[in-house]
Amino acid sequence: MIDWLLEPLRFGASLRALIEVTLIGVAGGVVGCWVILYRVSYSAESLAHGLLPGLVAATLLGLPILLGGAVGIVAAAILIALVNRFARESADTAIAVVITGLFGFGVLLALSPDTPPGTAELLFGDLLGVSDTELLTSAGILLAVIASVWLMHDRLLAAGFDAGAGPSLGLSPSVMSGVVLVLVALTVLVGVQGLGNLLVAAVLVTPAAAARLLTDRFRPMLILAVATALLAGVAGVYLSYYLKVAAGASVVAVLVLAYLAAAAAATLLPRAIRPTSLNT
Amino acid sequence: MLETFSLPFVQKGLIEVLLLAIPAGLIGSWVVLRGLAFFSHAIGTAAFPGLVLADGIGFSPALGAFGAAGVFAGLTALLGRVKRSSTDSITATVLVGCLATGVLLASDVFGSSSSVDNLLFGSLLSIGGNDILLAAVAAVLAIATTVLFGHRWLARGFDETGSAQVGNRHLLDGALLVVVALTVTASLNAIGALLISALIVIPAATIRLVTKRVGLQLAGSVALVALEGTFGLWLSVETNAPPGATIAVASGVLFALTLAVTRLGRRRSRAALAVALIAGGGVIAGCGGTGSDSGQLKVVATTTQAGDLAAQVGGDKIDLTTILKPNTDPHEYEPRPSDVTAVADADLVFRSGGHLDEWTEQIISDSGSDAKVVDLSQGIPVKLEGEEEHEHAEEGHSEEEHAEEPGEELDPHWWHDPVNVKAAVGEIEESLAEAEPDDAGYFRERATAYEARVAELNRQIAKCIDAVPPAERKIVTDHDAFGYYTKRYGIETVGTVIPALTTQAQPSAGDLAELEDTIRKENVKAVFPEESVPPALSNAVARDTGASTDYTLYGDTLGPEGSPGETWLGMMKSNTDNIMLGMTDGRKDCFGTSG
Repeated sequence: MIDWLLEPLRFGASLRALIEVTLIGVAGGVVGCWVILYRVSYSAESLAHGLLPGLVAATLLGLPILLGGAVGIVAAAILIALVNRFARESADTAIAVVITGLFGFGVLLALSPDTPPGTAELLFGDLLGVSDTELLTSAGILLAVIASVWLMHDRLLAAGFDAGAGPSLGLSPSVMSGVVLVLVALTVLVGVQGLGNLLVAAVLVTPAAAARLLTDRFRPMLILAVATALLAGVAGVYLSYYLKVAAGASVVAVLVLAYLAAAAAATLLPRAIRPTSLNT
Repeated sequence: MLETFSLPFVQKGLIEVLLLAIPAGLIGSWVVLRGLAFFSHAIGTAAFPGLVLADGIGFSPALGAFGAAGVFAGLTALLGRVKRSSTDSITATVLVGCLATGVLLASDVFGSSSSVDNLLFGSLLSIGGNDILLAAVAAVLAIATTVLFGHRWLARGFDETGSAQVGNRHLLDGALLVVVALTVTASLNAIGALLISALIVIPAATIRLVTKRVGLQLAGSVALVALEGTFGLWLSVETNAPPGATIAVASGVLFALTLAVTRLGRRRSRAALAVALIAGGGVIAGCGGTGSDSGQLKVVATTTQAGDLAAQVGGDKIDLTTILKPNTDPHEYEPRPSDVTAVADADLVFRSGGHLDEWTEQIISDSGSDAKVVDLSQGIPVKLEGEEEHEHAEEGHSEEEHAEEPGEELDPHWWHDPVNVKAAVGEIEESLAEAEPDDAGYFRERATAYEARVAELNRQIAKCIDAVPPAERKIVTDHDAFGYYTKRYGIETVGTVIPALTTQAQPSAGDLAELEDTIRKENVKAVFPEESVPPALSNAVARDTGASTDYTLYGDTLGPEGSPGETWLGMMKSNTDNIMLGMTDGRKDCFGTSG
């Protein structure tokens, strides 16, 4: 058993993949709980597409890719907030308008002959191809995410639970949703090199959503979400090692299975232990 | 402006976008009104596994997409009944589940999925009769359901809580979701999954900025989709950009302008409008201008290799257009308007053959071209079977897998063997001479001279590589593109980083670990990245094993102008040098191309 567990660690690529899923798992599990609480799953899923113009522009200008991604994604978050506010449309519509426009712009930018090949890789990412530098950067961003969540925990919670009570406490819920979007953006940056544009949403939404099905209290939900993300990440890498299936997709598949299991458990468990509203 | 619309492929795109305007406008209004934007985006993206299945097994992609959409909607509805779940997190979870299934299918079940990328993006420039039919069906259903259920959808949209009293809630919602799914599926081929909101959400949201009256919204959205689609299509042909992205940007800009005009003060909005008009005018004026008629034989080549060979034989007697650009991955090709126009005007089309340019047929039929198509891979003397999915897997295992796969497919990288190239040159010469008998002598002369150089190069390479003991002739390449080269010169490919002929497959940790073991056991000294493939994975393998990744090869495409791999001869020399340097630890090369 021990040998079975240790064997993949002999290989640098799978070892780095395990470190990467650990980093993504912690970031995704923690931020995911706020995504669920603030109901911004669509943003979490779509902000990753908003990366494209920033990434392409950065490669064209010869700037660090991560910097381009960061600028692009923050611009997308701000635009969404602006459209949401001025158009008085539902958040859904604002996200669709902004992200689609930006993604189209990214596709047009990527047509430039100077763009290096590999748009497809940006979309899917390569868990096994992450380098040590990328791991270090991810770890740095993760620390920033954890620190900001820790500092703002109470305020996030107050605004998230009661949008009506927020302003009276001197907090604007829309500002706090903006904060959540920035956290989401940072987490996307941690995950995009490993899981890619399309799949990074998995780790941002699924573990926390699964945890939410099992508990009404925030702290257990947080712990459960991080644990789910970590276990699924590690299990996905081992699956990919022993069954020889695509690495990033395995991680996501395990996450989704965990969600289905949680849904089954939530339906089958006795009603008594499942009160209906989220408490702290 | 009208000239553009006389091209047959543009007309088809126009019909498609005008038809789509009906369901996209009507259903789009309901999507915006009812906050279903995430659902419509997700159901389009979730089509991915359906498309991979359709591609792998061989049935209609529209059917695959609609099936996947059905599974998606069913799962979402089922999970929605679990206590404490929220619709948006379920949508996201089911969506990523579908995507992961798609990647697993593409990487581990079906070796290749080169047409899937096209469908994720889609193009108005390659619309077939089925697409138009599907759009028409969606249009009829959208009109019917809007007339029948419109007022009840509206009641529910305005009053979420009181809606239970208005008719059967589940049935109504179900009907709306089904029409949304159908509309999205019908739009996939035109605009692609990731830009679907450009047709369905943005125009409807723009109209809603102007009026809150539902009747006007419905009519206005249909008109606006038609307008933006037509404009985007026209602009994309003029500027040679993909139509989907053009429509997305155009409709995004129009939304922003409308927002500025309706929400900001009048003076500021006028300034914004003026700036936008000037910028827009500049963009349009900066583009345009079409090629002239030279009276030469018009020849189109699909891949860079076919293009170089055609140029070597045709010389200045032909007007040659090569569709793929140097250093771009042919697996990621999306037709540009100029490609379709070039094919429409062509007298002769040289295909390289196989899955690298399987889109050729589609473009030819779309463009209404009557060009003669010559598939160069048909007449080559050395043919290898494609899809060697797990070359480094155990023998018995891999044979079993082969039996299941449609093994008829040819490894399309035939040009890495000079013997094949010589035959292809002969075929090009014959075809050119047939099309332009007056210049037959000219073509023969050039072809003969070139064939001599090819044969000479072949001898030089063989002689040079012979200096390496056969036991040391072992290489690991990025993807399986060098079968012809290694066979010709007695080199053993002990492994490939990406486990299939297509660069889109994703490797598994197990395969990569096995490859690293092989590299250590066989004492392979170099892993060869390719110019047109991102090197992250090769670098990872090299870091672990200590093999070098300094020697880059030209696999799927030739290099850009000025690079050693600009021509076929240059590419062969450069590849040979790099392979030699890699096998000999940097001690020996053959032609001195890498300086």
